[in-house]
Amino acid sequence: MTEKITVALAGNPNVGKTSIFNAITGSKQHVGNWPGVTVERKIGKRVHNDVMMEIVDLPGTYSLTAYSLDEIIARDFIIEEKPDVVVQVIDATNLERNLYLTTQLMELGVRLIIALNMTDLALAKGDNIDETKMQEFLEVPVVSTIGSKGNGIEGLLDAVTNELHRTRVTGNVFTYDDEIEDKAEKLRVILDSDPYFAHYPSRWFGLKLLEGDENIIKKGKESDSFPKIQIILNETDADILEAKVADQRYKTIQTMLRQVCNINTSHLSGSDMVDRVVTNKALGIPIFLSLMWAAFEVTFTFATPFMNMIDIFFGWLAETATTAILVPWLASLVGEGMIAGVGSVIIFLPNILLLFFMLSLMEDSGYMARAAFIMDKLMSKIGLHGRSFIPLVMGFGCNVPAIMATRTIEDTRDRLITILITPFMSCGARLPVYVLLAGAFFGRDAGVVIFILYALGILVAVVSAKLMRSTILKGEDAPFIMELPSYKVPTLKGSFIHMWERGKIYLKKAGTIILIGVVGVWLLASIPAPGSSGTFASQEIYGTTESMIGMIGQILEPLVAPLGFDWKIAVALLFGVVAKEIVVGSMGVLYGVGENEESLSNILSAGSMTPLAALGLMVFTLLYAPCFACIGVIKRETGSWKWTLFQLAYGTSLAWGFAFVIYQAGTRMGLMA
Amino acid sequence: MTHSYGNKEIAFAALAGVLYVFFGLLNIAEGLGIDTGIAGLLFVPGDILGGFCLMVIGAVFLNGLWEMHQGINAGVSFVYVGILMSLIFAAVYLLIMAGNLLDSFIVPDDYKGWSIMETFRPGIYLGLLSIAGILYWKNRFSLNEVLVFREGA
Amino acid sequence: MNEKKLDFIEPDTSVKVVKVTGQKSSRKRILDMGLTPGTRVDVIRRAPLGDPVEFKLKGYNLSLRKREAETVLVEVLK
Repeated sequence: MTEKITVALAGNPNVGKTSIFNAITGSKQHVGNWPGVTVERKIGKRVHNDVMMEIVDLPGTYSLTAYSLDEIIARDFIIEEKPDVVVQVIDATNLERNLYLTTQLMELGVRLIIALNMTDLALAKGDNIDETKMQEFLEVPVVSTIGSKGNGIEGLLDAVTNELHRTRVTGNVFTYDDEIEDKAEKLRVILDSDPYFAHYPSRWFGLKLLEGDENIIKKGKESDSFPKIQIILNETDADILEAKVADQRYKTIQTMLRQVCNINTSHLSGSDMVDRVVTNKALGIPIFLSLMWAAFEVTFTFATPFMNMIDIFFGWLAETATTAILVPWLASLVGEGMIAGVGSVIIFLPNILLLFFMLSLMEDSGYMARAAFIMDKLMSKIGLHGRSFIPLVMGFGCNVPAIMATRTIEDTRDRLITILITPFMSCGARLPVYVLLAGAFFGRDAGVVIFILYALGILVAVVSAKLMRSTILKGEDAPFIMELPSYKVPTLKGSFIHMWERGKIYLKKAGTIILIGVVGVWLLASIPAPGSSGTFASQEIYGTTESMIGMIGQILEPLVAPLGFDWKIAVALLFGVVAKEIVVGSMGVLYGVGENEESLSNILSAGSMTPLAALGLMVFTLLYAPCFACIGVIKRETGSWKWTLFQLAYGTSLAWGFAFVIYQAGTRMGLMA
Repeated sequence: MTHSYGNKEIAFAALAGVLYVFFGLLNIAEGLGIDTGIAGLLFVPGDILGGFCLMVIGAVFLNGLWEMHQGINAGVSFVYVGILMSLIFAAVYLLIMAGNLLDSFIVPDDYKGWSIMETFRPGIYLGLLSIAGILYWKNRFSLNEVLVFREGA
Repeated sequence: MNEKKLDFIEPDTSVKVVKVTGQKSSRKRILDMGLTPGTRVDVIRRAPLGDPVEFKLKGYNLSLRKREAETVLVEVLK
């Protein structure tokens, strides 16, 4: 019979934890979120030596304090779920700081195994690590691995199954000075005598109480023995003790390191050399911008043929279905509603896959941290983190993958703001709208007008970020403490897995919302308006006054009239939520010129619309509710309908406000008459 | 004290630097609508942003040249990173070419009278120089996991 | 005493940490990252726009905004 166990994978960020996870589980992974938060949780399975292992990838953390969400998740999982074995992945080139987390995992009393990863790099660097001595010192198994090549994985899994059959108490390898030990011991006695604490490792709990860990004190307060605990805590200055604990942990690590390894610190490493160039005072920013351009070109130019393929395929499929189905309304539902809907979900896939491939190359190579380092000053001015910059830039291509790319922002608030302002980055799908309207109304100045629209988008994003930072998402800036990991050659396998994961998440989570939205709009355009004699889903009524959407457009007309729009524009904007470029096509249909853009621009400029209203319409298109795909990923990435609806309402009111001011003030002042 | 670079590195930085800056300027000039006369011959498109990128690569090489000239040992880093960047850009341009070629098969109507050479870019053939460089100095680029520029030299 | 705030230290200077002050949460994180008293820190460079600053300590590279660096008191090593 196979035994079932849970193995948690812990470790610092940038230690190759993901490559170990991939090497163990292969493609058998499930990506989701930790309950209640939008921090990613990856789970994989592997059978080894007749043991069924469920591998849980904990968030990468440097420590296990209560100050960061990732750290709370990691430690709560270890305390509450009690995994059978915890494997800590350690970067062999960076032992001292990595072992700091080890001290804390040991205090948690877990069955620990150390995967000494990237041993090849340590060797190349000239470091000499004696694993046997390290194992003796730490009293836990140490297995050396090279995650990116899959070396040492079998040995690691053997160690996991061996560990199961051994009853072992983690020794107190890491001890503190007498004062701390004395208090910790007193607390341990109290905690051990109270069944309320039976669930927790008492030495660890005691130390955390002494350090003044808010989360733990809160838990402690609920027990009957808290008054006794309080007496000991009152004699302690948590601030001083906390510093002492960190200091003494590092001292013990240093003592150990002197015995188990020889670290070569003499030379200028390859990473230092690259950094000299890419973070150079004069060249750093130009290099970053040119690499951004490269990533952008690949993502959005190289994706074109694939998007065309998808477009043609779904067009063909819809047509085939429409001709094959004899019932007209059903044909329309399947062809124009469902197949077009599925197509509008899949069409973004090439962009998403390519962007995440690029981002993964940047992240895995270590450049992403440099990008954040370079751009942080600029972003901190609007209260954001350097890491917010890349998603915002990618937003110019397509908001959908850009919003998904905000995952790399650690601070929840920074991330939320970045998600909320990304839709103001004018994406590629809005360009056709600008081109048509600016071309029809502003002739030779069309280029300037379009440039102003892009600039306005950036301005709105910047001001909104500042505004949200100082109102609804107020609070201290998260401290900026970021490691600049050494550069590594990214592996294709790792990047492909990452890319595919993102694609799957998009299809599964955002896909449903997009599909519902698209079919919903089709229904509105196909159901005859009350009192209309048209038949359901017939060509004659689709999207016209005879349909529900036309009726809604007419109901909305008084709302958009102050902007100089009529009901046709209102309907086109409703369609635009399916995908912004549809605004142009729907206007063509509504003005009775079909797909012919030239005649549409002739009709519009001949008097159906004033230049001011056209300008207002462009601004409206820029700012109002993003497309369904975008709404889908906002919901997925914020995990909240509240914030999703907030974005829609906020953007649409801004759009209305801007268009109103442009039209009204412009008309009053007699501009462009 | 021995230097980590010799005349070869200096010559390479000077050549690559001047070439990239020159082609970058050509790109930008064409992009601004200035007819340089030689652009068609060298497959230089009018592309301001692309020109900027080439100029950045050129500037990296020239900065290395300047630092090496001043006797700064780590100045050679700029040559290595410049080589890597020019390879990245050559790869990007090749990808774009492949993308356009593929697209021309999918929507042939949009590509009437189009030839693949229209997307051929200086960034591609300039990359050959860096391939030569990386082959010549291959012992200094360890593609084994880390971008370790071996301290050997 | 020759204590200085870490954000004042010019690049290419080595210092020794004396004390970490500041808000509890950021102080704890800074300590966790290894900036404990006595640790040698090399100031590497400032970002192109002047902030944040890159440091090397315990064999790895760390960057802090000046706001965080300000809370670290150091002594310049000769």
